Formats: sequence, structure tokens, C-alpha cells
Amino acid sequence: MKRSFLLFLLAISVFFWASCHGSKGPQADTFKIGVITSLTGSNAAFGQAHKNGYTIALEEINAKGGLLGKKVELDYYDDQSRPDQAVQGVSKLVDQDRVSIVLGAYSSESTRAIVPVVTQKQIPLIIPTAVADNVMESNSPWIFRICAGSGSFATATLDFLRNNGNPKKLAIVSENTNFGQANNKSMTEAAKTAGLELVDSESYQASSPDYKSLLQRVKGKNPEVIYFASYLLDASTLMRQSEQLNLNPKYYTSAGTGFAAAEFPTPDKGAGKYAEYTFSVSQWLPSAKWKGSSEFDQKYFKLAGSHPAYHAMEAYAVLVVAAAAIENAKSDQAQAIRDALKQVNLAETPFGPVQFDARGQNQHPVLLTQVQGGQYKVVWPIEAAESKPIIPAPEWSKRQ
Amino acid sequence: MVNWLYVALQAILNGLLTGALYALIGMGMALIFGVMRIVNFAHGAFLMLGMYATYVLFQATGGSPYYQFPVAGILLFVVGYATYMVLLRPIRGQVDFMVILLTMGLALILTDGAQLIFGADYHQINIPLLSRNIHLGSQISLNAPWLVSFAIALVLACALYWVVTHTMFGRAARAIAQNPYAAPLMGINVNRVQAISFGIGSAAAGIAGALLLPVFYLFPEVGNQFKLKSFVMVVLGGMGSIQGAAIAGLVLGVVESLTSLYWGNEWALAVDFVLFILVLSLKPSGIFGSQRA
Repeated sequence: MKRSFLLFLLAISVFFWASCHGSKGPQADTFKIGVITSLTGSNAAFGQAHKNGYTIALEEINAKGGLLGKKVELDYYDDQSRPDQAVQGVSKLVDQDRVSIVLGAYSSESTRAIVPVVTQKQIPLIIPTAVADNVMESNSPWIFRICAGSGSFATATLDFLRNNGNPKKLAIVSENTNFGQANNKSMTEAAKTAGLELVDSESYQASSPDYKSLLQRVKGKNPEVIYFASYLLDASTLMRQSEQLNLNPKYYTSAGTGFAAAEFPTPDKGAGKYAEYTFSVSQWLPSAKWKGSSEFDQKYFKLAGSHPAYHAMEAYAVLVVAAAAIENAKSDQAQAIRDALKQVNLAETPFGPVQFDARGQNQHPVLLTQVQGGQYKVVWPIEAAESKPIIPAPEWSKRQ
Repeated sequence: MVNWLYVALQAILNGLLTGALYALIGMGMALIFGVMRIVNFAHGAFLMLGMYATYVLFQATGGSPYYQFPVAGILLFVVGYATYMVLLRPIRGQVDFMVILLTMGLALILTDGAQLIFGADYHQINIPLLSRNIHLGSQISLNAPWLVSFAIALVLACALYWVVTHTMFGRAARAIAQNPYAAPLMGINVNRVQAISFGIGSAAAGIAGALLLPVFYLFPEVGNQFKLKSFVMVVLGGMGSIQGAAIAGLVLGVVESLTSLYWGNEWALAVDFVLFILVLSLKPSGIFGSQRA
């Protein structure tokens, strides 16, 4: 009994000793920036892309001497692709680690969950990739978003369609969390305005092995265009099973994400040849005209052994923007950084010009790509196009 | 034939193909529950383990899971047998809650272990068979890998049924299910029979995992949704009746497919659990099969 008590005391003292040593050292001479992303769980592929993007930006910033004379350190919190964990992440990063700015999260679902929390804690949040427009609806002065939203996705897609065959019958297929539902809503509204007939609107539970019945429903409605809002695992399965059911719309279009992931056209991690001819909105590609794009691509390739999709670039860009704001603020206080973010006006980043409007939204142009020969090729708008869109998508039975 | 009939037929066939895999998973769970009254919360994790084993094997040899699945079966039999002998036997006779906690803990360890070793990233494999479709007439098409896994699952399910109904081991297992106190008096080695049952039940989950691998994707938490479904099957099938669980698996597949077709995919899971609750509250002995194995 006595011995176990002594052991207990020993354990506690070791614990305290370790925790003192763990947190004391680095804080003095580093500048911590909080990052929430999905390093594990079903969105891990995107979280990893985020991390690679952040890593590249971090190296560049530290190579230039860091911020406010301190080395920059990224404090990651893995939300496990779950919104409740993202909320815990904000508390951990802000209350425990005392960061004064947070970047993230990955998904629209997690991001919507943390918006009220950072607002309440009065910490600026820069959103890299959450496209659901409702993450900006709170009008919180602490929220900034660098990527274009679901409304812009829908408009860009409809713009492309109107100028390329002008189809009239549309079906929407979306996953049932915030990302899919927000895109579904945006497209439903935009299609009504544009005069398209919405013949079918489906939502589904991601990570199901079988979407054949859903696709059968879509097939029964005979749409000319299908607009998907999917993550990666579901996007791959949906395309494979479209082939199985011989579902042949003229256009497979999509709200990016799964359909724009670097893995999607690869056979090992995505849909492989079934990805061919699908259209996707995109926010950036390695071939983008902005200065620094190809350098980023090279660095990314060196780091990850694959070429980046826009999610990685957006992570890179939010850290670059955060660094610029902190430099201008000349302070590590949340309020000062927030005020500096409002004034940010970067004419040249590899992600294009960045400036936030009164609501904290960056006006970013949306491109359309098509998978051609296993590669994403920009097909719209015309002034940015690398190749001509192939329309209609050949019927499955006529593909080799 | 009118078009809607083809559509319904296609959905029913798809449901049966998925359902056969469900059936295999559910039978494993039912066998374990029937013989031991153990609710195995690690069943999904065992399925995940079978998937990873098959995946590693595929990476090493490039052979199709459709003939390498026995490896996952044997491995999971050993894992199940060992789990029973090492972890479950010492707490037999104690409150059921201990067993639930233990299998839950085991599931967490296995899932997190897989995450440590393989990472949280998902994996998928690509075999030539995947792009083969079999067309019945102009309207119906079936994907070859699903057909193959259906055939394998069907054969295994029948074999399992035969083992339980016609062999000495099966008779012993049923005797324990009927009366765990009288069985040892009749000379039945309860520990051994229960360990083998646990092994066979786990092997069924492992093989289902192997058969799922080509048509699905693999990540550490993949087992969870199948674990939940196997609870539904055990209840629908009549609490431990393995033929009941098998039929329940097929029914579940078809119900999900039809729900998805007529109401939309987001309702499929809801219908599963509505069925689950209805059966539990209205007919707790299950819709199919007898009370016990």
C-alpha cells in the first residue's frame, strides 16, 4: 500500500516535470500559428495536402527570418474529419497553446462548427478550403476566406454550360454534410435563375459501398448534366458505378473537391479511367498563370512525390496571407492581426491577388477543368483554357 | 417488359449482391452470439483486419483477393481463437457488461493499431475484373466482382450452415447454446467449442472483409458501419440464429437498395435502424428463424 502510494507520487512528479519541460522551451523564441485540418479520418487525403502546403509556406517564411524576429511554428490539431473535434481544437489551440490566429479547418462541416467558437474567443480565422457559403453567413468580423464559395462554383459551371451546348436538364447529386448540401442549394438556386430544369436532386451518405440505386434513380430521370458535390472516396465509387449502370449524361460536372483531387484520376487512389471526361470547378492548377505557381508545384513534388491540387495551394496561401498580416500588424495580438487582415492587399501570390472584402471574402476566380488523358486540363474560361472541352462525354460502351 | 420493372429488378439484384456479404458478416456475429451470448463489438474491427491482411497480401503478390481470401479467413480464425482463449475465457461467467467493454476496447486497439501501422489514409486496389460487367439483356447489368463475391459468400454461408447443423462440432455448439450448464455434463469441452465458434465467427468477418476489398476502400474505421449492420441482422434473424442472420443479411441488402431507389440514398441507413427498433420492440425473437442456433 505504501509502496504503491510512493509509486503514484513518483508518477505524478515525472508527469509534471515532463509537462513543464515540454511546454516551456519553445514558447520563448517561436511564433505559434494554430492550424486545424483533417489528418486522419475520411478526409485524410485532403488534410495531408493541406499539411504539405503549410509546410512549404512555413519553410519559405522561416528562410526569410520568420515573423517579428521569431521563428514560426505551426501548431497542428487533427480534427479526425469530425466537426466536434474541430471545435475542441479551437479550445486547445487558443486556451492552452495561446495562439492568436487559427487557419483551417479542411471541410465545410468542420469549418462551420468552428466559426462561432473563434468569434466568441475573438481570434481571427482564415479559411483555406471550405466552400459552403454558409461559413461566411455569420458576418463575424473574425472570419476571412481565401477560396471561392459554392455560389461561385455553380455560376461558373452554368456559365460554361451555357456557352458549350446549352443543355437544359440538370440533376444534382450531393453528399449529405455541409459541403454537399451547400453546393446543392447554390446550384439549385443558380439553375433556376439560369432557366435549367432540375430533373433530380439526390443526397447520399458518403462512405457507402453502393450508390447503384441512387445512380439508377438519376438515370431514370434522364438528365443531360449531372452536378456532383462529393469528397474523394465517394467520387471514385460514383464514377465506377456510373459505368456499371451505363449512365450516360452528356456532361459530368462537379463542385471540385473529390472530382478535383490530385488522386482522383489515378487508378490506385481514385477512379482511374472512369474519371475521364469529368468536368470540375477548380481554384488553381500547377499551370496557373500567377507568379510562383510552378515553383510551388516543384517544391510540392519534391516534398510529396505528386503534383498538388488546389487544396494544397489554398493552405499555402492562407499561411502566406497570415504572415503578411502579422508583419503589418507588428504584433502578436489577435485584435491587431485581425485589423491587419482587413487591410491585406497582396497583388501577387501564387494563388493570385488576395484582398478581403467587407465580409472577409477574397474574390477569387473559378476555373473549369476536364480530365483528359488522366490530366486536369483547364477548359474554361476561354482566356485561361489549355484545351478544348470534349462534349459529350462518350458513352461508356463506346470507350475502350 | 415495362421499364420500371427492369429498374426494380436491377435494384433487387444489386441488393442481393451486397446482401450476401452482409449475410456472411451477420452469420459470424450470430454464431458468436448464439453459442456464447457474447455481443462482439470487435466484429467490425475483425472485418477491417481481414481487409488489411488481404491488402498487404495483394501488395506483396499481386494476386486477386478472390482466390486469396482464405488467408484472411485463416488469420482471423487464429485471431478469434486467441482472443477467446486469452481475453474472453478469464471473464466468462461475469456480467455481460465486462464482455461488452472488453470487445469494445479490443476494437479500439485494433482500429488505432491499424491507424498507427498503415496511417489513416484510405487505400483501394485495382484488379482487371473490376471493369467487367455482365449484361443480362439490354437493361440489366451486374458487376463481375460483386457476382464473384456473391458466389463465394453463398458457398461459405451454406458451408457454415452445414457445419453447424451436421457436424459433431455443430451439435456441441448448439448444445451449449441450448444449455451451457448441461452441455459440459454431457462431455462437451465448452472452452474448446466456444473458442472454435469465436474463431469461425471472426473468420467469417475476415473473409467478408477480403471480399469487400476490391469493390470498396480501406481505412482503419471501415468496420464500424458493418458492425452496426451486423447488430441489425442478428436482431432481425432472431438473436443467434445463423440461418436467420443470413436471410436478414439478404433482406437488408435488398431493403437498402430499394429504399435508395425509391426514397433516396440518405434514407437507407435510417430504414435499417427503424427495422431494428421495430423488431426489437414488437417481435424481440426476430422475424426469421427460430430463437436460437
